[in-house]
Amino acid sequence: MAGLISYVIRRILFMIPVILGITALVFFVTAAAGNPVDIVRGGLLHPNNATINYLISFYHLDQPVYLRFGYYVWNLMHFNLGVSLQTHVPVATSIGRWTWTTFYLQLSSLALSLAIGIPVGVYSAKHQYTKRDYTITSIAIFGYSMPTFWLGIMLIIVFAFYLKVLPFGGASAGALAQWWGGPIQDQIAHLILPMVTLAYVEMATFVRLIRGNMLEVLRQDYVLAAQASGLSDFKVTYKHALKNAITPIITLVGLTIASALGGAPATETVFTWPGLGYYFTQAALALDITVVEGLTVVITVMVLIANVMLDLLYGVVDPRVRVT
Amino acid sequence: MPQKAKDTKRRRSATQAAVAWRRFKRNKSALIGLAIVGAFILLGAFGPLFAAYPPRSTASLFLGQAHEAPSWAHPFGTEPTGVDVFSDSIWGTRNDLYVGLVATLIATVLGVAIGAVAGYARSSIGAVILAIIQVFFVIPVLLLILLFARLFLLQVVAGYGLTMIVLILGLFGWSGIAFVVRGEIFRVKELEFVQAEKALGASNFRILFRHIVPNILTPVIVLATLAIAGNIITEVVISFLGFGDPNTATWGLIINDGFRYVSVYWWVSFFPGLMTVILVLGFNLLGDGLSDALNPRLRE
Repeated sequence: MAGLISYVIRRILFMIPVILGITALVFFVTAAAGNPVDIVRGGLLHPNNATINYLISFYHLDQPVYLRFGYYVWNLMHFNLGVSLQTHVPVATSIGRWTWTTFYLQLSSLALSLAIGIPVGVYSAKHQYTKRDYTITSIAIFGYSMPTFWLGIMLIIVFAFYLKVLPFGGASAGALAQWWGGPIQDQIAHLILPMVTLAYVEMATFVRLIRGNMLEVLRQDYVLAAQASGLSDFKVTYKHALKNAITPIITLVGLTIASALGGAPATETVFTWPGLGYYFTQAALALDITVVEGLTVVITVMVLIANVMLDLLYGVVDPRVRVT
Repeated sequence: MPQKAKDTKRRRSATQAAVAWRRFKRNKSALIGLAIVGAFILLGAFGPLFAAYPPRSTASLFLGQAHEAPSWAHPFGTEPTGVDVFSDSIWGTRNDLYVGLVATLIATVLGVAIGAVAGYARSSIGAVILAIIQVFFVIPVLLLILLFARLFLLQVVAGYGLTMIVLILGLFGWSGIAFVVRGEIFRVKELEFVQAEKALGASNFRILFRHIVPNILTPVIVLATLAIAGNIITEVVISFLGFGDPNTATWGLIINDGFRYVSVYWWVSFFPGLMTVILVLGFNLLGDGLSDALNPRLRE
């Protein structure tokens, strides 16, 4: 237990230079791209003097660049990410709201893809080289060859515009007529298409990985021993074999979560899903620099924390992996 | 005696590459992948022969053929602005292949160099480089790519927007390859032939890049093939979201055009997306096939 605590502390200490490094990368590359005032002037926005003055005071543009970085980090440590140049809402407040919408979309699609992907992958491995196996692997390889957002557009065309059975975008109807009569049903109706879109592509990678691992594990002696001792086929497959095949899935789930926190910018844009990815895209296109920089730094920090938690989870699932 | 000599000779002539090719040939899906990739490369190279209109040309608008459904004159239909989707998709093939191949080349060279140094250098330097690799592995790269694409496309001379995207993709995409190369170097660097080189007095640089790196290129080839697929998808995402060069025909840009009118003109978004899926599928099948063919553990 003491080892675990010191491990966590060391990982957190290791995160500090990483976060500083990422902040520096974002800050200095942005600085190298030009003076924020010039960038905003050259971009889409037609800024008034108040915006320009705000930029100068927030970034301390009258100071040399290394001091400006110091000020930026100081502000960051006080959760002062500035104010959006467009909406004038504090960035930190907005990020909290957007994170939640992204979070429940990504979590539900991850749950769906695991719930379908793991049994299908196991089934495919158990029936290797049959027609069913080929069908499953073909569907899977199409899944991970597809730009996720394009699948989303196709689903919108079919289900929202042609069949007209589901909404084409947004997270809820708001003031408009609600779907399926009720606020909760309405949210579910809006969730279905983006959730299925993300889940299909994630599922494809899970099926592939589980199938490959199961094929290796099923050939091992201990599985034969379990079968010989008269255990039911179901128990051998799902209790004994799957346990050893599932560990690499955690790594993949971790990578999925890491990219999920980035909020799948394209898929969220297709569904106008009010999450991190959609607002990042909007802010970047409008050159709303405070929002973009704030989002990049905050998302990176969240991803790093998720990774530490994942490494700890590894130790729980697989006792052979000991954190020291 | 002559018979025996002939036999040895024949056996020796089965080089590693020949063995791999024999295994590759028997893999049907790998051959499909190779055929798809080959067809697209030909389409990209000889595209102008098939494309009836120049890139981003709105000529059809003046012929009264805007927003037309697919027909013989316009196999993929036209956009409301008059752009012929078929022609632009072919120009897009060329541009997307350029992005996929060159960005992957940059990322691979960087990945091999950084991974090799991380695996071979003294442990303290190696640890620092490993930390950098890990950072690039976990950060949300797509967001940084979008941010930098937006900031720098304002500065780039017109016509070089696509090259800008290539550079950004290459500079952010090397960490996966570096990881694998580092691991492989650890496996190889204690083998006898490396010690022999050391005993002969070869320099570290020579040992690493002349003798070790050529021995570990097999997994790199597989990873790079799959990375091409990933880079093409990322490019489609970038230009779909409007961060690419608006004057260069790419698949993502056409999908973006079509998405605005998606409730009426489905074909504009459908066809370039379908081409993306097929090409990416081709590279994925090819990569999987290479992985099986080059895997020494699976050798008969």
